[in-house]
Amino acid sequence: MTVLAVDTGLLWQVVWVSLLAGIGISALFSLVILGGARAGDARRAGRDGAALAYAAFALLAFVAFGLGVALGVQAML
Amino acid sequence: MGDFVLWIVVGTALAFDFTNGFHDTANAVATSISTRALSPRLAVTMAAILNFAGAFISLEVAATIASGIVDAELVTPSIVFAGLVGAIAWNLATWYWGLPSSSSHALIGGVVGSAFVAEGGRAVFGSGVVDKVVVPALVAPLLAFVAGGIAILVAYRIVGRQRPGPVARGFRLGQVLSASLLALSHGTNDAQKTMGIIFLALVANGSLGAGADVPSWVVVSAAAAIAIGTYVGGWRIIRTMGSRIIKMDPAQGFAAQGVGAAVIMAASHVGFPLSTTHVISGAIMGTGAAKRVSAVRWGVAGNIVTAWVLTLPAAAAVGGLTYAVVALFGTEELGPIAVSAALLTALGVALGRRLIAGRTLTAEG
Repeated sequence: MTVLAVDTGLLWQVVWVSLLAGIGISALFSLVILGGARAGDARRAGRDGAALAYAAFALLAFVAFGLGVALGVQAML
Repeated sequence: MGDFVLWIVVGTALAFDFTNGFHDTANAVATSISTRALSPRLAVTMAAILNFAGAFISLEVAATIASGIVDAELVTPSIVFAGLVGAIAWNLATWYWGLPSSSSHALIGGVVGSAFVAEGGRAVFGSGVVDKVVVPALVAPLLAFVAGGIAILVAYRIVGRQRPGPVARGFRLGQVLSASLLALSHGTNDAQKTMGIIFLALVANGSLGAGADVPSWVVVSAAAAIAIGTYVGGWRIIRTMGSRIIKMDPAQGFAAQGVGAAVIMAASHVGFPLSTTHVISGAIMGTGAAKRVSAVRWGVAGNIVTAWVLTLPAAAAVGGLTYAVVALFGTEELGPIAVSAALLTALGVALGRRLIAGRTLTAEG
């Protein structure tokens, strides 16, 4: 549907993609920090198993974050 | 068009590109400097390098600036020249007052004003102005405001119970990445506008065919001009965006930049033209307001929004006035030469007065 010269379908797509990508990228990086911080705390407390699990969680979140960034850069090209 | 006038248009386009770089440095680096994720000099150096690199990534949108907004058949080199002068004047005025505003809208405004004075209303497409300027100017800051607000609430929710030290360090590290993405996308999008303007001037001069590739020297000079402008750094605007809208913590800085980069990339992906300045400013306000509404200095925010509203008409007025002065000289040759000589003389006088007063002229003022 076009109102005046504006394609409202395109506009709606920009809105939802932006919200999803913007909030998603911040949430994923926050999870990286959460995993890293908890891994550090667990390591200091001598809980090596938990430290390893949290580090793996942080790594997983970072990979997802990196994929999101790569997708964004690809979209820009 | 004679070669001398062609080079005047090329030089003016590169001067606009330079002001675009230093005016928009703040978009990529202001939040990183404010939260001390990067030192000021390192931040602008990194942004300059990535702006330069970004200019080589894509040439997809070169020559599309102002298309669909003014009738390309009626545009002459004098109209482009006057439009560029209007855009440069508005960029310098908003830099002087430390107000972030859209360089793209200034360029469009300048060309619309000069085309209107030259050819009347038939040269300007109203629907194009609504489609490419008015609607994006309303959507970009609101969208970024909402996304920034939600993003920071989600981030606080996730890391809220962790020790502040590692969290702040983590977000500062993230800001280096998000600032890099913003600088790269700025170089990709904005340097192409200058390439497009120079390309059009070369085609109008008969130096190139309309279907030719953008010459390498155009790409390199546009990339260099925007990178040098970025390196000089518009410190007045960096101060406004980094610390005068909100006093931000590293999480807010990352959320604002991350949301900004995501919104710009999403908009680029679907081909919707959004201003980087509007997006980043809106995201900064959103991350501040989500924490506490009174955390945003609404007076400063109001001044910024006023500058956004005035960008198109003010640049159009200067562009139109410049074209009127150019037209006074009666020919396509003499007009741009006389006006550019007068502007260069005024610039020389201003520089001379600064030097005599013992002050260097920098982007810091």
